[in-house]
Amino acid sequence: MNVLIVEDEKSLSHEMEEFLTHQGFNCDVAFTGKSASEKVFVNSYDFVLLDIGLPDYSGFDLLREAKDGGSDAAFIILTARSELDDKIKGLDLGADDYLAKPFSLLELQSRMQAILRRKHGLKNNVFDIGEFEMDINNRTVTKNEVLINLTKKEFDILHYLAINKNKVLTRMQLTEHIWGDIMEDDYDSNYIDVHIKNLRKKMGTQGDIEWLETVRGIGYRVNL
Amino acid sequence: MKLQVKLAIYNALSKALIIAAFGFILPLVTQQVVYNHIDKRLIARSDRVLKIISRGGIEEIIMEQDCSFESYNILKEEFVSIIPLSNEAHPPETVIANEEWNVGGENLKHRIIRQSFVYDNQLYQLSIGEGLGTIEQLNITIVQFTLAMMIILILVSIFMDIGFVRILLKPFNKIVKEKLQLPQNPSNYNFKEHKTNTYEFNYLDKSINQLMRKTRDAFLIEKEFIANVAHELLTPISILQNRLENMLINNEVPEEFENKILDSQKTLKRLSKIIKALLMISKIENDQYLKQDEVVIEELIDEVLSELSELIEEKHIVVIKTMQPMSQFSPCNRSLLFNMFFNLINNAIKYNNIHGKIIVNGWKEDEDYVVQITDEGIGIESSQVENIFDRFKRFHAGEDGQQSYGLGLPIVKTIADFHRVQISVESKQMKGACFTLRFPHIDASQH
Repeated sequence: MNVLIVEDEKSLSHEMEEFLTHQGFNCDVAFTGKSASEKVFVNSYDFVLLDIGLPDYSGFDLLREAKDGGSDAAFIILTARSELDDKIKGLDLGADDYLAKPFSLLELQSRMQAILRRKHGLKNNVFDIGEFEMDINNRTVTKNEVLINLTKKEFDILHYLAINKNKVLTRMQLTEHIWGDIMEDDYDSNYIDVHIKNLRKKMGTQGDIEWLETVRGIGYRVNL
Repeated sequence: MKLQVKLAIYNALSKALIIAAFGFILPLVTQQVVYNHIDKRLIARSDRVLKIISRGGIEEIIMEQDCSFESYNILKEEFVSIIPLSNEAHPPETVIANEEWNVGGENLKHRIIRQSFVYDNQLYQLSIGEGLGTIEQLNITIVQFTLAMMIILILVSIFMDIGFVRILLKPFNKIVKEKLQLPQNPSNYNFKEHKTNTYEFNYLDKSINQLMRKTRDAFLIEKEFIANVAHELLTPISILQNRLENMLINNEVPEEFENKILDSQKTLKRLSKIIKALLMISKIENDQYLKQDEVVIEELIDEVLSELSELIEEKHIVVIKTMQPMSQFSPCNRSLLFNMFFNLINNAIKYNNIHGKIIVNGWKEDEDYVVQITDEGIGIESSQVENIFDRFKRFHAGEDGQQSYGLGLPIVKTIADFHRVQISVESKQMKGACFTLRFPHIDASQH
């Protein structure tokens, strides 16, 4: 998977590069709109992570040019402006997703995976979590064909933990993933704990859920 | 007191004063004028009588027997008398005066001219009188009529004054209403000048515009400052957050530091939340959100309740919702209104007791639609109630152990203001809080 990171803030692009490389992506970096424009036309990328507020170039122009030039990369717009209009404009121009800074790298990765699934219609939309099966398209969790009745939020939490398996997810990251920015809350709140408790209750009666681990003081992890 | 009333009272008093003065002077003046006329006539008549006497002799007039003459007209309004006087008397030559005169056994008031003359060495006095009864009657009538006419005229003029002052003050009322009373965002304040040919109002209008230009500039500078600061801060926060994340993910740090990094992340998150909240408030106040949606408020509340259903169940909270049907509220920004109800209901859950209640009521009131969200939780300390929507006071709320509501309620207030929704709160500590939202102009007959 080839990723182009277009970000004029060098420290930030460095952190993104480090994370994505660690996750197995091949990263290329452009600090200016001009060099990004050249790179998009010369190379073939699966993802372009595009900062809208470039000093020399409007990210929107770059997006328009690339789309007109027939690039089939998936574009994710990154911006600190978080203007609603920007989001609509970006998506109208053919961007695949939109992330407001500051964002979590795990959130970025999960968005990228979601785009991959959408774009390529991945056949393995069903995967195993322990003895359970998770179907992402139909948003269901089953064990031996028996449906576990999960709420939307419970499913989202489990899914987020599963795609980031073997990593500890903090309550903060989970809260942000399922509530976005709207939850004006302190992060020691037990909202996530409530959902995990319900998940354990519902799935525990059907099978073994040892893999769903509470990491004391930090958050949760799916060990698979 | 209104200027209009003051002017009317001043006008009425000054005119009443004029009437009073006039009412006092008028009878005197008319009387004087009438006497002047009568006197002229009396002098002319006495001259004629004297001429007749000098030409034809007095004998024809005066009867032999008593040497005097008296004649009345039939209505006893005029008389002529000539009486001989003893030659020792020295009456003044001509005198005009009012006197009672016995006419056929009746004392009637007359204006009398007395003129003495000598004929055949005999001194006579000629008296010609004119009755004043009719004339005085006429005099009274004239004065009464004139006064009545004046009172009527003055009343009419007072009404006209009031009307005129009202018209005169119209631009003033319009300027105050349009420029000062209507809630206006300084950034898109209406600077249009009002057309009026009254210098003072033009001056007022220009002064208000001048003041508002200054206010607008200060307002815009403040908004821009907030937006820029917020924006410039988010990028470094982004870098720090991702760096800390990488440290955790790559297991670069010993376990004992993990918790410190987590705490740092939380602190960073809090910082970015505050900045984002300020940015959001500043953007709402700058009208940077579109108002293009139509929502049915009840549906929006249902959506928020379902979004929060697990938290409600977890606390065993009972939600009682009673809402009269309503039409759509538009134009509005759906996601902002969602955010507003989310914050309110989330607070109602967060600060509620286990097995508590949340009561959501909605009803029409006049043109408006009122939504009330009541909880049975810990409530708000009475000294805090009035500051609850104040964004800067909130920052200090946590210091003395009081719970802080964060920037949630200031955001709620800003969103409500943005949609011209009136919001108010009533609360007693340990008795819960009640938030009342008044949505303007929803026609409940549709839907």
